[in-house]
Amino acid sequence: MKSIELIGKGKEMHGRAYIEVMPGELEDIIKKLKENGFNHFVMLSCIDWLEEEKFELVYHLWSYEVKEHVMLSVRMNRNNASMPSMSHLFPQIETYEREIHEMYGIEFDGNNRLTPFLLENWHHTPPMRKDFDSEKFVGKLYESIPFIGEDENEGI
Amino acid sequence: MGLYIGDKMMKYEEWSKLARKVSKKSLWMLHFCTGCGAIEMPPVMTSRYDMERFGIAPMATPRQADVLLITGYLTVKTLRRVIQVYEQMQSPKYVIAFGSCTINGGMYWDSYNTIKHLEKYIPVDVYIAGCMPRPEGIINAFIKLMELIDEGKARGWEKYQKYYDKYKENQRRVFNFEIEGENEEY
Repeated sequence: MKSIELIGKGKEMHGRAYIEVMPGELEDIIKKLKENGFNHFVMLSCIDWLEEEKFELVYHLWSYEVKEHVMLSVRMNRNNASMPSMSHLFPQIETYEREIHEMYGIEFDGNNRLTPFLLENWHHTPPMRKDFDSEKFVGKLYESIPFIGEDENEGI
Repeated sequence: MGLYIGDKMMKYEEWSKLARKVSKKSLWMLHFCTGCGAIEMPPVMTSRYDMERFGIAPMATPRQADVLLITGYLTVKTLRRVIQVYEQMQSPKYVIAFGSCTINGGMYWDSYNTIKHLEKYIPVDVYIAGCMPRPEGIINAFIKLMELIDEGKARGWEKYQKYYDKYKENQRRVFNFEIEGENEEY
């Protein structure tokens, strides 16, 4: 595959190129791919590997010339996770980083738009982390709020 | 207290009974389309099921509407908007809640972000069970609401006035939820 030849490492997975990257070299690799036809940034996704104490960020890129999908996987420690922002390469990365910051609590250095995005007034553990106990949270918040009304016929 | 029609005085109770009988035949509906329920509304509105047969018409603004139709799950963020819309409506006003999600959370029962029981935040007159309810179910719920209005049982808006403080307290709790004790983790 073109991208694997270009970067010099990685493997083919289900018809896509999967390349594991160190956080330091990510910027250069995205830049190199962008210059060589991979100019469509598809999405940025995040995986929480709780047992390994790692976060994995996956940068998906697509080339219209060779019709090839590249996944760049970056792993980082789970505690105080932070990454340099890539939003200067593709502007849409800013919004993906904003969402991941809200849902996983990863800091993106250089992105100054990490404001609340989808959640309303959230003060707790970021909800998509594996150690967030959703059921316990629901019991604490929503189930503890009482029903209103004295008898059943009132207002139906 | 009463109202003169010709030289005959109608008592307030009689008048409100007549008013209910008439107003139930022209329910103007504001459909607050959240979640997946919105997809069931076009068939109900358009020629196949044609809800205007029953005097139900979609309305553009909350101030013109009698019925607030909530079509599916609500996140905390949307609930804030729903309450604004509900409080803009003029009395008498009714709420129809649509689908399992508004009853007890439905398939989002353990989600961190959807409120589970709509009834805790605004009064609900009629629930439609199902995930999703069919258009027939929606029309059936409107007919049920008409019966309740006719019998004087659809009194959700009076309940909201009566327990206003309690509703506000519940709403405040869900909007400003803070962890009790700083070290508690979720």
